[in-house]
Amino acid sequence: MTLTFLLQVAVGGLLMGLIYALVAAGLSLIFGLMDVVNFAHGELLMLAMYATFVVWLATGLDPLLLLIPVALALFALGVAIYHLLMARALSVQFNRGMVQIFVTFGLAIFLRGAAQFTFGSDFKSVSTSLLANRTIDMGGIFVPLPQLAAGLVSLLAFAGLFAIGRTEFGRALEATREDREAVALIGIDRDRIFALGWGLGAAAVGIAGVMLATFYYVSPNVGATFALIAYVTVALGGFGSLFGALVAGLLIGEVEALTALLIEPSLKQVGMFVIYLAVLMFRPRGLFGTL
Amino acid sequence: MGTSITRRRRQELIIGVGLLAVLALLPLPIHDVYTRNLIIITVLFAGLAQAWNVLGGYCGQISLSHALYFGVGAYVSTLLLTRAGIPPTIGMFAGGALAGLMALLVGWPCFRLSGHYYAIATVVVGEIGFLLALNWDWIGGATGINIPYRRAIGDSWLWLQFRIDKLPYHYAALAFAAAAWLVAWKIEGSRWGFVWRAVKDDPVAARSLAVRIFPSKMAAAAISGALTGIGGAIYAQYVGYIDPDSVLYGQLSILIPLPAVLGGVGTLWGPLVGAAVLIPLSELTRSYLGGSGRGVDLMIYGALIVLVALARPQGLASLVGVRVRAPAGADDAATA
Amino acid sequence: MQRRVLVVAAFVLAIGGGVARAANDVVIGALYPMTGPNAQVGNDARAAMETAVEIINGNHNLPMLLGKGGGLDKLGGAKVRLIFADHQGDPQKARAEAERLITQEHVVALIGSYQSATAATISQVADRYELPYMSADNSSPSLNQRGLKWFFRTSPHDIMFTQAMFDFFRDIGAKTGRKVKSVALFHEDTIFGTDSSNAQKQMAEAAGIKVAADIRYRGNSPSLSAEVQQIKAADADVIMPSSYTSDAILLMRGMHDVGYAPKAVMAQSAGFAEQAFIDAVGPLAEGVMSRSAFALDSAKARPAIPAVNALYRARNNKDLNDNTGREIAALIVLADAINRAGSMDEDKIRAALIATDIPGDQTIMPWKGIKFDSTGQNIAATPVIQQIKGGAYHTIYPFDVASEDAVWNVGK
Repeated sequence: MTLTFLLQVAVGGLLMGLIYALVAAGLSLIFGLMDVVNFAHGELLMLAMYATFVVWLATGLDPLLLLIPVALALFALGVAIYHLLMARALSVQFNRGMVQIFVTFGLAIFLRGAAQFTFGSDFKSVSTSLLANRTIDMGGIFVPLPQLAAGLVSLLAFAGLFAIGRTEFGRALEATREDREAVALIGIDRDRIFALGWGLGAAAVGIAGVMLATFYYVSPNVGATFALIAYVTVALGGFGSLFGALVAGLLIGEVEALTALLIEPSLKQVGMFVIYLAVLMFRPRGLFGTL
Repeated sequence: MGTSITRRRRQELIIGVGLLAVLALLPLPIHDVYTRNLIIITVLFAGLAQAWNVLGGYCGQISLSHALYFGVGAYVSTLLLTRAGIPPTIGMFAGGALAGLMALLVGWPCFRLSGHYYAIATVVVGEIGFLLALNWDWIGGATGINIPYRRAIGDSWLWLQFRIDKLPYHYAALAFAAAAWLVAWKIEGSRWGFVWRAVKDDPVAARSLAVRIFPSKMAAAAISGALTGIGGAIYAQYVGYIDPDSVLYGQLSILIPLPAVLGGVGTLWGPLVGAAVLIPLSELTRSYLGGSGRGVDLMIYGALIVLVALARPQGLASLVGVRVRAPAGADDAATA
Repeated sequence: MQRRVLVVAAFVLAIGGGVARAANDVVIGALYPMTGPNAQVGNDARAAMETAVEIINGNHNLPMLLGKGGGLDKLGGAKVRLIFADHQGDPQKARAEAERLITQEHVVALIGSYQSATAATISQVADRYELPYMSADNSSPSLNQRGLKWFFRTSPHDIMFTQAMFDFFRDIGAKTGRKVKSVALFHEDTIFGTDSSNAQKQMAEAAGIKVAADIRYRGNSPSLSAEVQQIKAADADVIMPSSYTSDAILLMRGMHDVGYAPKAVMAQSAGFAEQAFIDAVGPLAEGVMSRSAFALDSAKARPAIPAVNALYRARNNKDLNDNTGREIAALIVLADAINRAGSMDEDKIRAALIATDIPGDQTIMPWKGIKFDSTGQNIAATPVIQQIKGGAYHTIYPFDVASEDAVWNVGK
């Protein structure tokens, strides 16, 4: 096993890790804000990928141009989901924890059915884009451009989310998270903050969906492929910690790639799961969790 | 106060026995096997949801790894049958015992986690079990295990095999569901039940009452896992074929608690009511709408889950006058 | 409570009443995954089977079995009617749906079912109720080895398919002088991938070909980059994947991403046969070879193909492929057996199936014919090897039915 070979696998893991982190960012955000695990997160990703595909098919626009529009569309969808479902789910008097799990699970099933109803069950993919099928050779290590772009967008998105955290709105988010009741006293509309939080979380996964669509296939079940990894990423990083999601995403990407290489490809997810459980034994709130 | 509780518990037991009689007679006038199958699956899931309810409802631990216990029970009893020739009526208890042990093994590291960390950790444990089974050739790997109908033995209760007769499986599933119900009923009136309620309602206060939380959670896990394993063994015998995709897959860990959650978590009747509504609806929508291939069945099923969870968070059982305990902190405790 | 339960029971009874069937129709139950990860295959199967019904019931004057006249002549021109059921790839649901079709819809035979795990339970139910299960496209070799009396399979299974691949390696090696010395196996961790790779390992060993890598991967993975890297490192003469559509796309793109152009790819059909795969990877698919039970370009030897394909296209806007071709063939063979039985009696249908001896040119398949052995397996099903050229599959082997010469880069 040569060094180039190892490096190549590590680069693949790194790029995939950045994608995992980006997919997980929205989940982490929503959780941190209102203690809700969105089990329909993978389906939001799937919808963003379909949106990208459909617009690309109809107009031929490069998916990269669709980053902002799709993110905005997902933002609106996130706000709508909050107002239509989650606001109610959060205000129930019984079993709040389970109600929110199963409301989002039901939503996931519904969205899968709706996607199949609308787009059919065929695998689709965006076959022409500025980046499609391009790869650069860096001294024997090959870096595919779509994945590289996705990794860079992921870092930019994280930078953006960190920046939002420093604005007035970000501080309102933080305050709402820390004391839901008290913020009402200082004139913060909790409902509005929660809705915006959902919008932001959905927009983040929208960005991930657009970038994934440049090199990944789209189908009604594609969300499930990424959802489990996203939950593990968020829990490993620590619920509510964006920085934790980034670190955990990278860690998971590398562990997955190295398990596939060194142990057995069909057990690569076992590798990441075991690491995750091991970390939880020492840090029950994940790497950077405070909640 | 004490006497009224005793009276209520006796009433519940009487209703339970009456219901058991009704359910025992229910399939008799029904001769088409599809409906009988529907009833069997419904009763089986009522039992499984009740088994989950012990840990998830009464003890308040949102466990999403019950597919693992279900699969362990199914695999152990099937392997004992196909490899060692041990009848499944014995094998199912071995399967249950191992599933209970597995639940202890999972509980030991996971119970120190709280809220969503616990839920996600159990999802992951279940997924590890699934992946290992898929890659473990000795237990059939991805190919699964076929349970052939042994014509030499013929229809037999000992071997729990019946060529086309569905009624015996109905009684096996019913006995299982009744046992799960009885366990739940015992728990409601026992010291354990009191401890778990205390743990669920306020872990901090419970600790100050000198309640040892960890052992009590472990007990709940063992009971819940063992019952689920027995259910898995009955399922394996009923379907006649198991593979990781059908007895260990991740979504099963959500489908098992679903009837309990929608019917009423931590109640005696919730799992049964939830299963009676949910299972027929999902089977019938798939049978009559799924063939279109447009995903309409999934849309209806998903929308139904959302609507019930939102409209009746205390569970459908409350519609038929089942008492649901006051929410005293129960909502947050379930996640805390 | 009791009243509640009774209400539920009454509801179940009311719905369970089922649909009355029109007199004299020959009703066949078809079980496929209509929702879930393989819904696409199920929906294509539905279109294929409906095309076959159109051929049988209508008068299209096609040069093939049941291609002329309308309906089944020995049953007074009875029409074939299909009832579809969705098993979602779940063996329990497959079992329940098979029982529903048998007892409620009163089907005379079952056909299906894509995933081999579902065929395991459906064929068991058919055996218990004693009516035929026609396996149209399940390729697991274990299915006909379970001593079932009512199991029939028109299609080749994975051992037969794999044999064709290694026969091709031998013959192309002799023809060009450039022999296959090593292969890299790449298969998903399902019943399909496992069976396929086991057969490939055995046959490679028997042929003295080195297995340079044997990679078992997790199906529907988010990424296959590490696996692809191992394939690249092994650099075998031929890469032999057994993958469904999603992973087929990731594999081809992944090899390109790490700058690796394999000398030859020989796929165990599945995902590689799907138009979605060719559309997704475009030029990267050029030169990929796959075994196939069906050859769209064999119209010279099988004159019915263009018309049948046109009928299918009108329904589904796709060309026939390996799966859909087999599905049409299986349904027509089943309908023909029912016709020859001249009755809807299950035992007579079984006797007719056992007596089946249809020459290949009466079908749309490139096979020698259809003749079942004592396990219900069609032993005259001879697969072909195809290669993608210009975005479509062309038959390259056996050489006598080939429509194009193979592009063979091994040893160059």
